[in-house]
Amino acid sequence: MTKYILRRILMMIPVMLGVTLLVFFIISLTPGDAASMILGQEATEESIAELREEMGLNDPTIVQYVRYMGDLFQGDMGNSYATGKTVNSEIAQRFPNTFVLTVSAIFLSVLISIPIGVVSATRQYSIFDNVGMIIALVGISMPSFWTGLLLIIAFSLKLGWFPSGGMEGFISLILPAFTLAIASTASITRTTRSSMLEVIRQDYINTAKAKGVTRNVVIRKHALKNALIPAITVIGLEFGILLGGAVLTETVFSWPGIGRLMVESIQRKDTPMVLGSVIVFALAFSVVNLIIDILYAFIDPRIKSNYS
Amino acid sequence: MSDKLLKIEDLVVQYITDDGIVEAVNGLNITVDRGKTLGLVGETGAGKTTTALSIMRLIPHPPGKIISGGIELDGMDLLALNEQRLEKIRGDVVSMIFQDPMTALNPVITVGDQIAEAIMIHQKVGQAQASQKAREMLEIVGIPGNRSNEYPHQFSGGMKQRVVIAIALSCNPKLLIADEPTTALDVTIQAQVLELMKSLKVKFQMGMVLITHDLGVVAEVCDDVAIMYAGRIVEQGTLEEVFTEVKHPYTEGLFNSIPNIDDRKEKLKPIRGLMSDPYNLPKGCSFCDRCDYAMPVCETEKPPKIYFSDTHFVECHLYRDQQDFKLKGGMK
Repeated sequence: MTKYILRRILMMIPVMLGVTLLVFFIISLTPGDAASMILGQEATEESIAELREEMGLNDPTIVQYVRYMGDLFQGDMGNSYATGKTVNSEIAQRFPNTFVLTVSAIFLSVLISIPIGVVSATRQYSIFDNVGMIIALVGISMPSFWTGLLLIIAFSLKLGWFPSGGMEGFISLILPAFTLAIASTASITRTTRSSMLEVIRQDYINTAKAKGVTRNVVIRKHALKNALIPAITVIGLEFGILLGGAVLTETVFSWPGIGRLMVESIQRKDTPMVLGSVIVFALAFSVVNLIIDILYAFIDPRIKSNYS
Repeated sequence: MSDKLLKIEDLVVQYITDDGIVEAVNGLNITVDRGKTLGLVGETGAGKTTTALSIMRLIPHPPGKIISGGIELDGMDLLALNEQRLEKIRGDVVSMIFQDPMTALNPVITVGDQIAEAIMIHQKVGQAQASQKAREMLEIVGIPGNRSNEYPHQFSGGMKQRVVIAIALSCNPKLLIADEPTTALDVTIQAQVLELMKSLKVKFQMGMVLITHDLGVVAEVCDDVAIMYAGRIVEQGTLEEVFTEVKHPYTEGLFNSIPNIDDRKEKLKPIRGLMSDPYNLPKGCSFCDRCDYAMPVCETEKPPKIYFSDTHFVECHLYRDQQDFKLKGGMK
């Protein structure tokens, strides 16, 4: 098992290298000049050229990339062009906010979607099932910025229950977490339902019933554990989508997380900040998927035995 | 207490689908005496598994539905019981072994826990005691008890079927329904599993319904034989009666389909045609379109039940007027 985890951790290295390479070159292709941006509109041609030289912006992109990676390996992600603060400190300040938001969202959606999926499957084609699936379809079809705006209109402007943005305590977490959760709730519900439907037709469910196991225990103990295996895959993938969704949701709700930081940095062409944010996103996604893979092994003994 | 363990009377089971009504079981009568084994023989689609699931009251509903009839098990009217009572009976009074051992075990639960579960439900004992009993059950079916912590994927097909048997027998049921327990296994393993079931049947003194399409298995294990076709028993008798005095043309067809080892040049004689469409069964005898002896009356009238002894009967028009009619295919 340790070997399996170690191998999965090693596999993250090429993934992270690929992510940095791709993002670095894409950013270098975008128009605009960092030096003139830092110095502002009144700067002279000369001072801009001087700064460009000093920052190494005249070197070939590949050289810049190698230099960046050299610093990165020493734990230095550079300084923000816009604020001058280190990227590390900005991210350290913002990341916990994004973490809290996405983790609450994923918890919320798992909490809602698994029971709905299970009940929909066990009462296939009932009213509950049909209504549930229609709501899921609606949820999956709405982009998070749109859901977010609707929720703000309903619950902040009209009802005044929750703040429309910012981060003041638990109450301001509710709307953004819910917004983020809606789309993933829909797809996790659908996956749970379909894998549950498949599992409850398996022979071993009949074996369990033939033993005299009650209906509820059959569902909870015999069916759900098997049905969760595909559901967990989707939960892992959804987490990635949630991180992406966090970019928009944080912007809509003025949530001071990395997503918003990234959007602002892209607008300012603040390359070190964008890179730093993307690396943190990629790392978070990889770690979550690692956790999912380890969870797999705990649920499904067949996977575990492949690696022990 | 009567010596009848299981008594099924005029059982009718249908699957009601969008495409129409599947008449799976159409007025079935069988009885199983205590400690005896009944072989339920027929080809795929004859309604054997539906019959078995009816006894377990596990017909998937919808689409399946027990339309009418009676099932009496150990003096209890199974069709009148509610789900809670049925849960107490399943696994305790009646157990079932399913056809495919590869899929009959839950892949994410250890075999020990799967056996212990039934024991904990029916014998009201704790986890530790149930696990101990589960290990003993494994030993009884010939698997070392210390493998009880392993998962199904760590066992071979034959071993899995032994585990399934251990689950079924763990609460010492009075009736065991075995739905083609050896069909999915290698021939050598088949013999082992049959041998095991035979010895356990004696050891646990239980009645058994053995569902199969293999007459060799029937000859090996059963006391009585019921031949099933299109949801009805077309011939029933003791093992000896059915094997030595074949009466129904369908039974004869089944025997003729077995390759003859003494004359391998002889052509196989399969029963021609396919089983009648269960959506649309013929008005008369269900077998008439495949029968070499079919008469005009076969197409229009349901055949009568004709008894040759207290135990041996056939449902066929051939014997209505002449009880001593002989089938031409003769005996094997």
